[in-house]
Amino acid sequence: MSGHDSKYFTTTKKGEIHELKEELNSQYKDKKKDAVKKVIAAMTVGKDVSMLFTDVVNCMQTENLELKKLVYLYLINYAKSHPDLAILAVNTFVKDSQDPNPLIRALAVRTMGCIRVDKITEYLCDPLQRCLKDEDPYVRKTAAVCVAKLHDINAELVEDRGFLEALKDMISDSNPMVVANAVAALAEIQEGSSKLIFEITNHTLFKLLAALNECTEWGQVFILDALSKYKAKDARDAENIVERVTPRLQHANCAVVLSAVKVILQQMELITSVDVVRNLCKKMAPPLVTLLSAEPEIQYVALRNINLIVQRRPSILAHEIKVFFCKYNDPIYVKMEKLEIMIKLASDRNIDQVLLEFKEYATEVDVDFVRKAVRAIGRCAIKLDRAAERCINVLLELIKIKVNYVVQEAIIVIKDIFRRYPNMYESIIATLCESLDTLDEPEAKASMIWIIGEYAERIDNADELLESFLESFPEEPAQVQLQLLTAAVKLFLKKPTEGPQQMIQVVLNNATQETDNPDLRDRAYVYWRLLSTDPEAAKDVVLAEKPTISDDSNMLDQSLLDDLLANIATLASVYHKPPDAFVSRTRPTQQRDEDEEYAEQDSGTGDTSAPLSEAGQVSGGYQGASPSSPLPPPGGYGAPPRATVPPSGPPPPAAAVVPDLLGDLMGLDNALVPVGPVTPATPAGPPLPVLLSAQDGQGLQICGQLIRRDGQVFYSLRFENNTQMPLDGFMIQFNKNLFGLASAGPLQVPLLQPGGSANTLLPMVLFQNVAPGPPRSVLQVAVKNNQQPVWYFEGKVQLQALFLEDGQMERSTFLETWKSLPDSHEVSKDLPNAIITNSEATLERLLKTNLFFIARRTLKDTNQEVLYLSGKVPPNVPFLVELTFLVGYPSVKCAVKTPSPEMAPLFFEAMESLLR
Amino acid sequence: MISQFFVLSLRGDNIVFRDYRGDVPKGSAEIFFRKVKFWQGEEGEEAPPVFKMDGVNYLHVKVGGLLFVATTRVNLSPALVLELLQRIARVTKDYLGILNEDSLRKNFVLVYELLDEMIDFGYPQTTSTEALKSFVFNEPVVIDAARLPSLGPAALFIQGSKRVPGTSVTKSVVANEPGGRKREEVFVDIIEKISVTFNAAGYILTSEIDGTIQMKSYLSGNPEIRVALNEDLSIGRNEYGGGFGGGVGMVILDDCNFHESVRLDDFETDHYLTLVPPDGEFPVMNYRMTQEFKPPFKVFPVIEEAGPFKAEIVLKVRADFPATVTANTVVLRVPLPKTTSRVSFEMEPGAVGQSTDFKEANKTIEWSCRKIVGGSEHTLRAKLTLTQERNANIKKEAGPISMSFTIPMFNASRLAVRYLQVVKKSKSYNPYRWVRYVTHSNSYVIRT
Repeated sequence: MSGHDSKYFTTTKKGEIHELKEELNSQYKDKKKDAVKKVIAAMTVGKDVSMLFTDVVNCMQTENLELKKLVYLYLINYAKSHPDLAILAVNTFVKDSQDPNPLIRALAVRTMGCIRVDKITEYLCDPLQRCLKDEDPYVRKTAAVCVAKLHDINAELVEDRGFLEALKDMISDSNPMVVANAVAALAEIQEGSSKLIFEITNHTLFKLLAALNECTEWGQVFILDALSKYKAKDARDAENIVERVTPRLQHANCAVVLSAVKVILQQMELITSVDVVRNLCKKMAPPLVTLLSAEPEIQYVALRNINLIVQRRPSILAHEIKVFFCKYNDPIYVKMEKLEIMIKLASDRNIDQVLLEFKEYATEVDVDFVRKAVRAIGRCAIKLDRAAERCINVLLELIKIKVNYVVQEAIIVIKDIFRRYPNMYESIIATLCESLDTLDEPEAKASMIWIIGEYAERIDNADELLESFLESFPEEPAQVQLQLLTAAVKLFLKKPTEGPQQMIQVVLNNATQETDNPDLRDRAYVYWRLLSTDPEAAKDVVLAEKPTISDDSNMLDQSLLDDLLANIATLASVYHKPPDAFVSRTRPTQQRDEDEEYAEQDSGTGDTSAPLSEAGQVSGGYQGASPSSPLPPPGGYGAPPRATVPPSGPPPPAAAVVPDLLGDLMGLDNALVPVGPVTPATPAGPPLPVLLSAQDGQGLQICGQLIRRDGQVFYSLRFENNTQMPLDGFMIQFNKNLFGLASAGPLQVPLLQPGGSANTLLPMVLFQNVAPGPPRSVLQVAVKNNQQPVWYFEGKVQLQALFLEDGQMERSTFLETWKSLPDSHEVSKDLPNAIITNSEATLERLLKTNLFFIARRTLKDTNQEVLYLSGKVPPNVPFLVELTFLVGYPSVKCAVKTPSPEMAPLFFEAMESLLR
Repeated sequence: MISQFFVLSLRGDNIVFRDYRGDVPKGSAEIFFRKVKFWQGEEGEEAPPVFKMDGVNYLHVKVGGLLFVATTRVNLSPALVLELLQRIARVTKDYLGILNEDSLRKNFVLVYELLDEMIDFGYPQTTSTEALKSFVFNEPVVIDAARLPSLGPAALFIQGSKRVPGTSVTKSVVANEPGGRKREEVFVDIIEKISVTFNAAGYILTSEIDGTIQMKSYLSGNPEIRVALNEDLSIGRNEYGGGFGGGVGMVILDDCNFHESVRLDDFETDHYLTLVPPDGEFPVMNYRMTQEFKPPFKVFPVIEEAGPFKAEIVLKVRADFPATVTANTVVLRVPLPKTTSRVSFEMEPGAVGQSTDFKEANKTIEWSCRKIVGGSEHTLRAKLTLTQERNANIKKEAGPISMSFTIPMFNASRLAVRYLQVVKKSKSYNPYRWVRYVTHSNSYVIRT
């Protein structure tokens, strides 16, 4: 090759394309190659060189591998936009797949798989079939990956052609690379399928363990990850696997080490011998620590994983706390994670050492890090009661340095310490008061005020101190105002002298009349009434003993922790969120919404900072229980205080469903709706989906779905009694849901004799109990009767039952609305199973569900038809719809623009079922 | 698996971009860059290497002043992706001789060819330079290392990365020498990064050595190589914190791991590593040691008050290594009280190759010594003027002192290559063998 590639990047001149065209058709090989390189260079910088398609494809028939690869690269890029032209290349592909040179054979299948054009896919099958059985392992391993590619384009084809079986056979291949790729492909296909495709049997287990020792490092990761899904039969089986996997801990590749740790941790659960487990823990420690010698990026991943591991098995790294001490040149994201683990490993034995470190960190430059270090000291105090005093002394020393943000942070944690150890360390209050004037952050202020109110009787000049805050009362943030109000009441109750009495008057006046904040106002009124009717009762209430708090630094919710430990060495273990919270197997558009769902939490806790949120919760939870709401809940003192419940990170969306529902159902104002008189109503139409199977319902089967009739939403339900006894007294209740759907009247189900059934239409109302947070289509329902326990089950909120009758739009309005909405509100999705065979009929059908026709056009070049529709869902959210499709062909592209793009997934679901 | 791979310059220019799955929007590089550049997290302003946005997961590493990035939509192993990104960088460097924006642009066709062999449909395939040679046909255009511009702001990132470039070898493993024939040679580098924290009283709080035995082979015909290490080597620290039996003087590694090409048959008994080195640069062995060792430098800081608006800092550095060895580019950094407005320096008489600087922006003094010979002692006196009356404890406001240095031909762990044997193909075959030692500071901190 000649000269530098960069010369191909010269600027576009007039006629450049023409020149290239000539060069591409040159008879000199070198000139041809240079020309293709120029074309590719133009392509990589984003210039459109698709008009040269034919000329480039003509260069494909060459024995020169270098040139062939370039042409293939071009093809992959442009085939999608020029499917008809791509067909021209098919013959060469097929021919290449039979070339004597294995590199060319592999290249041909690899490239064909990358061209996601249906017509090409059909031609791919035969070459693929051959290559899967090729004599050359390089071709076979490429073919294995190609099956995954094909599956991604057309899963049915893969199954029909028996490629899955071929892949499974490849697990026994003699070449470890082939095995590894087959395993990777199978794992991916399994992931996206509900059917059981890839199961590790005794036989495959043996093959995988054998291949593990020989394949490349990446292959080892694939195999280890597959092994981690294997459920060992018994302890012996598990020990056997662990024994074969343990040598992987010595691998230089951190990904191999982490995946090996994952397998070992998983199998350890089954191992009963204490000695074996202890021994394994000992073996895992050095490699885990060694991960911290890798690049900082990998250290970060390792630390996030170690954070989880020490929560389950603290003994593994109990003696290694020193390796988590921060280095001055660690990036901030590594330092923060190390701090978190130091807190988790802190014990009575090492606390002195740890405190010395924290103290050093608290004088560093990075403000975020310093704050976290100060909080860490506080958390250690709460966690280790024997070290609390030492922690407090360190905090006092830090306060004396008088760095403003250190002081404020220290006061916030000291308030937590006071809560944890009441009546022990109040002697330091005087020192704290010295810093009073410097406080300017709401949380620090609120903490200090709480301390003053709580210990008013021991602070001689408590009234003066509070007074100094009162001047700025109207300007303070709500957090501070609430604390001031409560502190003033406490002060008055403790020292009912003239000064405090005047103060309380001022505060109550301020808080009831000059504020727009309903929380503040309501609380002030409660105090006021309490104080004026029965001061003794007020004392009992306001000065009641508070439940103690505990340290939550070790506590992820158990079920979440289980979930995450099963996902060690995956992204879930880095985010500390279950996989289904950020991954969905469907294609792009839907995921965006998933993520927005979490964006809300992210903004509160930081994208990757579950630990920080824990830190916040020490004080957050406690404030909820006490200073900010000193009134015990209406149930009396017995009600569970929030602070003692160990808070956790964001709860896994699905796991908590049942208890949540229970709480909501029973706590709701409108109790269960009793069954009224029998009015049989028989909804016609297709059979209803089963919500509660007879098996789950001890013989009671319930089917149902939402329907719309005459502008009214009904829950169409069918009850079948397959038990041996008559059932009666049916009642129904809905949990909070997206549209706040609730029953508008009683559930009317007659007494059901054994074997009997009844249909009913339950009228529904909207916006009764709206679930906060991101939109979920789940509709959680509870049904009870007089004979059985309460049944909980889940239905779906189908948007098609909710489209309003007045969703029709003028064409002009449609256009204006479309333009006025920002592009970020447009979401689109391919509905692979949807099909439109006759636009007229479809439009009629859609009209029945209140989706209104606006316009249509036909795309000339592809013959695709485009329909525009409008619809509206309650309360008043318009949906502007664009459907693009080929009449009679499956797959409809559906784009919607709406002020509430987060509802788009629901809309797509509705569309998919309407267009089936 | 990964959906896209791209390389960005620190200005955000797209140098290499490859889409493997088409399930992530094209604008992802732009989105990524903007997010990283203006990162605002609760945990500081540096983006973590793994984060997600709009359902896309972004993983990145910084190598040689470039951002190597992968995107994905699935719950894959982040360690795998980050290792892969590092490995792509290393293979590219092996091929191009030097890794920077210029060399990537000049060799884009080769880079794309490499990428296609390294990753298929988002799955890593092979990242061994050796194995890749049989599938990759483009030849690199080697750019002249001597004419390299200084890295400028990019140097910052190199410092931040933990894997030291190590060798000064900047030649491609596949390109031929200008003279035609390749020179037969093999480099073995023992690179150690040491971390030490001294407390204010001068005692060692923590110390650690991260070491790598790195090899870069230009030998033709892939001969077998044998690397013999210390005889008094032992692996695995027991709970009592040291070796008994072997007693004092043994080299005890906490943990180590090896490249997959290494055969360890004789390692337990004779401490031999046997391997057929693949082409390219690779770590033969990584090790970690927390056994006590003698730190190469001791610093004696004295911080004194000299009146209400004055303070004085005296730094004394002692080089505790043999006089035959010389440390390079030694820099001491001392953060000063925030109220410092002026600093005047007083160097020792006859100081050569030393310079001092007061960084106004972050209130830090930097003392650089181009060379420090083993056994020598150097002193610097700095007089500070403060704008406010100082606090009770000036020591708490100044420091901790951090130090960076490079010491060629020295290693603190005493791990040694006793000999390096290349199995001979013929009598006349006598390739060049280089064994080099170098010690870098990692986190070398003296608290005050």
